[in-house]
Amino acid sequence: MSVIDEVVRHFGRLPGVGPKTATRLVHHLMKSPPEEGRRLARSILALVERIRPCSTCGNFSESERCAICSDPERDRSVICVVETAVDVRSIDGSGQFRGLYHVLGGRLSPLDGVGPEDLRVDELVQRIRGSEGEVREVILATNPSVEGEATAVYLEELVRSIGPRVTRLARGIPVGSDLEYVDHSTLAEALSGRREM
Amino acid sequence: MRLSRLGVVGFRNLRDATMAVPLEGVAILGANAQGKTNLLEAIHYLEIFRSFRGVPDRQLVRFGEEGFRVSADLAPETPTGGEEEGTHDHGEAAKDSVAVVFRRDGGSKRVTLGGQPVERLADAIGSVGSVLFTPDDVRLVSDGPAERRRYLDILLSLNVSGYLDALQRFRHGLSQRNSALREGRPEREVRIWDEAIIGPGAQVMWTRAVWIRDRAQAFRSYYREISGGESARIHYAPGISGTAEWADRSAAAEDFRRSLRRTADRERSTGATVVGPQRDELRFFAESPHRSRDVRAYGSGGERRTAALALRLLEADTVRVGRGTEPILLLDDVFGELDEGRAGRVLELLERSVPGQVLITAPRESDLRLRREVLPRWFLRDGEVTV
Repeated sequence: MSVIDEVVRHFGRLPGVGPKTATRLVHHLMKSPPEEGRRLARSILALVERIRPCSTCGNFSESERCAICSDPERDRSVICVVETAVDVRSIDGSGQFRGLYHVLGGRLSPLDGVGPEDLRVDELVQRIRGSEGEVREVILATNPSVEGEATAVYLEELVRSIGPRVTRLARGIPVGSDLEYVDHSTLAEALSGRREM
Repeated sequence: MRLSRLGVVGFRNLRDATMAVPLEGVAILGANAQGKTNLLEAIHYLEIFRSFRGVPDRQLVRFGEEGFRVSADLAPETPTGGEEEGTHDHGEAAKDSVAVVFRRDGGSKRVTLGGQPVERLADAIGSVGSVLFTPDDVRLVSDGPAERRRYLDILLSLNVSGYLDALQRFRHGLSQRNSALREGRPEREVRIWDEAIIGPGAQVMWTRAVWIRDRAQAFRSYYREISGGESARIHYAPGISGTAEWADRSAAAEDFRRSLRRTADRERSTGATVVGPQRDELRFFAESPHRSRDVRAYGSGGERRTAALALRLLEADTVRVGRGTEPILLLDDVFGELDEGRAGRVLELLERSVPGQVLITAPRESDLRLRREVLPRWFLRDGEVTV
């Protein structure tokens, strides 16, 4: 296989990239100054060699503890539990949350053979216990899917028994959307979760 | 609604063709194995996007073809402004069209409504508004309860908004819960799936219960009319303890929750959830002054057929009420199986209560009994339609 084909094949395996896009990317790189390709290669190399899970929260990290866990400005009394490290980026991007995170590494799904022992559940319990009362609230921010809900139910009971208050992300109508296009179950959730004005 | 045009490509033994369908309907005549049922199957495919015979899509593809396409134009029941056939504005006609393309390679299914692709099949099912009667319908009554749940599921998915969504969420939650039970996970890890099945499961049971309650009287009178004066009733038995006399959906949810709690030991030993709408049953009782008999277990062939016909008539009522349109009647050679008295009374009933477009198949001219005088004829031979 030629070098070109090989790179096309690698790009083509990335999510959201089809064979056409992969070919276009490769052609772009070939037309660009060689330094551009080298920089890309170096950064990918750095990514795979240097990024690892944060020993505390499981988030992507370049060091033993991630930037969020080692930030002294962060509120240590709140932990937001998410399914994957990508969710950390989303929630932190909202700018509304200044606490810490805990990445489960998935959600409960007996059909896929995933039980609590396969997720970072014990680590969460240890973390809360180890904080000696400093953690006062745990926000369950698993996805609003069947599995995400069940995972939240599981964690709720567990966390509450150790002490902290447990909250769940609210569900409802997306900002900037139109009621006409919101599906029935989301509307039902939004109605039952309505609040006083 | 009425079908105004039907196109089939690569479907079963049918010759590729586009046919103009007369507004009043058509009688399709042909010997056995020429493709009469296949033609009705193609039309009904546009309703539920799978075969009513329960055959996988791949088997619907004509031998040697890559896939199939079925398409139809739909016209309103009563042409507005008294316009003649053929004077339809084409832009308008194209708006009410439905088409499906299935490719054997990869098994992909694409559905378009008015030429626009739909994202989810659920958004397109039920857009034709037809009701199909076949000789196999007796199995609705004589087969196991799963057959009747399937009937309810298709009917309610097509006609009650939110039902299909609830059903899918229920099934999803149920398979997770059963998997946890099967693997012998600790109780705590089983219980976390309870709410995933209680909410949508209660919605499924409540919708079924309401539908049956609202049609109990109609069932009784259809049964009486077809049988020539006999009495029978329809009964919904939910797959949880107690009867379906709930005041609302949350009462159903409460009963479901209680039943789950009570069966915790049993489901642990069975390795599956033993209560819920997956155990629902729809029953029919033939009534005489002194006793009532379960039609499925103790009914005669005629009684079972009568109950099945009454179910299909309820379906036609549901389409009419739910979609505000007269259903298109698809009759697949249904009268051959009935005794003379019943056949005559069903015909009368259909004439009177389902006045919309009719597509009816029969082996011979002499077997054709419905709207014989008014229906144009199609002749089907070796998959080819001639007018």
